[in-house]
Amino acid sequence: MSDCHDGCDGGRREFLAGTLKLAGGAVVTVIGGSALASSSSSPTSAPRPGGGAYDWNEHLWAYLIDTTKCIGCGSCARACKAENDVPDGFYRTWIERYVVGSEDSHVDSPNGGMDGFPPVQVGFVANKSFFVPKICNHCRATPCTQVCPVGASYRTKDGAVLVDAESCIGCGYCVQACPYGSRFIHPATHTASKCTWCYHRITKGLKPACVTVCPTQARQFGDLKKEGDPVRAVVEHDRVQILQGHLLTEPQCYYTHLDKEVR
Amino acid sequence: MEHGKHVFRIVILVAVILAVVLLARGFLVPRTYGLYGRYRGANVAQQMDARPVLYAGAAACADCHSDEATKRAAGAHKNVNCEVCHAPLGAHILADGSVVKPPVDRSFTLCARCHRKVAARPAGFPQVDLEQHVNGPVEGKVCLECHDPHSPKP
Repeated sequence: MSDCHDGCDGGRREFLAGTLKLAGGAVVTVIGGSALASSSSSPTSAPRPGGGAYDWNEHLWAYLIDTTKCIGCGSCARACKAENDVPDGFYRTWIERYVVGSEDSHVDSPNGGMDGFPPVQVGFVANKSFFVPKICNHCRATPCTQVCPVGASYRTKDGAVLVDAESCIGCGYCVQACPYGSRFIHPATHTASKCTWCYHRITKGLKPACVTVCPTQARQFGDLKKEGDPVRAVVEHDRVQILQGHLLTEPQCYYTHLDKEVR
Repeated sequence: MEHGKHVFRIVILVAVILAVVLLARGFLVPRTYGLYGRYRGANVAQQMDARPVLYAGAAACADCHSDEATKRAAGAHKNVNCEVCHAPLGAHILADGSVVKPPVDRSFTLCARCHRKVAARPAGFPQVDLEQHVNGPVEGKVCLECHDPHSPKP
């Protein structure tokens, strides 16, 4: 008995620990699964404090950017910062300037384009130059919500990808998972932060702040479930492009006249 | 019987673990988690009321400033929201109803953000080579002395 005491007991202890871990995991999975299953039978409209009229089943939002209309004034980025109190040095939307030649290309976005763009000198022969507004693509198959370990990142029924700052633990997985660089860790709250398509505005019938101030209508916001919506008409009938389509994230931010250099 | 005792111990242990897991889950998982999906359902309504609306759009400005609104709507800046130059309405009319005079940026930088000649802007958009336009350094110059921003002429 005493000969095999150490080996036997250690083996049993490990076995027990392993079994208990498995059992615990199975219990969590079963309970979690049943909780989700029961939720599917509950009412599907979002709770609206104050008895508001917004029903997220009636909308499916989409964003449309015509790069040929953008003048790079940065009004959108400034409005976003003011409307959403975005901290200095971080951007929920920004503008990139592309200078493209046959030999080389140059991309810059000084302060996110918030102060406009000074003329730039490049060390190659430039054939074309243009601005590209960037924003969270609110992807339908978004990697950022898939990697969240605590269910803080999610996509609403009306198509917005949001972050629950109360649940977020600030691990930053989603920041790394986003192929578009749309997320950042807020320096004050230490939680993930990103464009919400101004969810506090669009649920009140307003456009996002960036769309509201765009002086050339390069940025448009629309509802794919609404008959006669101009954005829906373009998405359905015109030739639209998306960023990094090979990643299969199904962006809901569409572009027209996008150059091949843009990622 | 000796082996039965071992099984009994394990059963008790598993029951205790189960109870602890259930208890911990009750405390740790938010109440509305799973209401709509794998997230805290209550957050949707919180996002709707996350912050006050600041940018109201040019139509809201026209309620009080009809003269400027009419002038702007007839000119080249008809699609430029008042709040692009004047800051958002929410910073002008505060939540408690008090009125704060909005900032008016009279420096050339305000106009330059849109109209300084930059190669990346669309070719048809009105752009000015600032240094050439004022025959020298542009710092300190005030575009508004000659150009009316509410109804601009080239």
